[in-house]
Amino acid sequence: MKRTAALAALGLAVLLGAAFAASSAPAQSARALDAYGQLEDPTLQARFERITAQLRCLVCQNESIADSNVELASDLRRQVREMLLAGESDDAIFKFMTDRYGEFVRFKPPLEAKTLFIWGAPFVMLLLGVLIVYRIVRQRSRLPLDDEPAPGPM
Amino acid sequence: MWKFLLPMGAFVALAVLFAFGLNPNRDIHALPSPLIGKPAPLFNLTDVMDPSRTVSNAALKGQVYVLNVWGTWCVACRQEHEALLDIARQNVLPIVGLDYMDQRDKAQQWLTQLGNPYSAVAFDTDGRTAIDWGVYGAPETFLVDGQGRVIYKFISPMTAEVWQHDFLPRIQAARRSGA
Repeated sequence: MKRTAALAALGLAVLLGAAFAASSAPAQSARALDAYGQLEDPTLQARFERITAQLRCLVCQNESIADSNVELASDLRRQVREMLLAGESDDAIFKFMTDRYGEFVRFKPPLEAKTLFIWGAPFVMLLLGVLIVYRIVRQRSRLPLDDEPAPGPM
Repeated sequence: MWKFLLPMGAFVALAVLFAFGLNPNRDIHALPSPLIGKPAPLFNLTDVMDPSRTVSNAALKGQVYVLNVWGTWCVACRQEHEALLDIARQNVLPIVGLDYMDQRDKAQQWLTQLGNPYSAVAFDTDGRTAIDWGVYGAPETFLVDGQGRVIYKFISPMTAEVWQHDFLPRIQAARRSGA
């Protein structure tokens, strides 16, 4: 029975490790090219790519404005580019977008009171799963073993 | 007791979620506008019909008005055009048009051929006004009260029913409250 518990723990560890590896790996995706070309300052260009990848294209909804080719996405990229060149902060750019399009425009909603549920739900689910596995393992460990011969005179 | 209540509770929760999520009448692309209750973004654009004239919504302060976002490329706008003409004939309030991602000559042709329900049509050349209003498609119809606040947004083609049920009561309420 100890073996089952150890296996469950191992499986969980592997899953968690994979999840962390996936979340820290850089997202690779093709960027839509603009007529404007790259920003001259590489740090601004890096911010431009990061911000546009985190803004939802509301026409296609599952694409970011960095990936989408529709006209609205291109207009919004122009907006981000202009605000970056004007020296605006990332927060100011995200606020500009959410003021107009709502929180839905952000792929990564900020962690605050009203988004606590969506950020917390995966951990609650994980905890629930661990609890259920723990209870099943505990219950089964109390059952008699049926794959071994019962002790007693042969 | 828990053996019964837990699955039952889970079932009820799922049923409620599905009733909301799978409702065929819900337009999954229609998003709530964060603009509701906020001051309407101001614009000052050229008139579609006459580029030498400007259309500004600052001049409409004190009046309840409708802003209808459209474009000649938009099939659903063609679909709602009759309804808009009917509404304009009732002469309840000014309907301001915002021509979005369009070409001026095509827009002029559209209004001349199909009829013009608008008191004025602003020409949004570069889409900046549309961004300020949080527009992500067309047609979109906004209702603005006398204090210049956006009080309602409707995403989909306008119909007589929508006008009757969603717009007229809000217009009357806005006028009653003196706003």
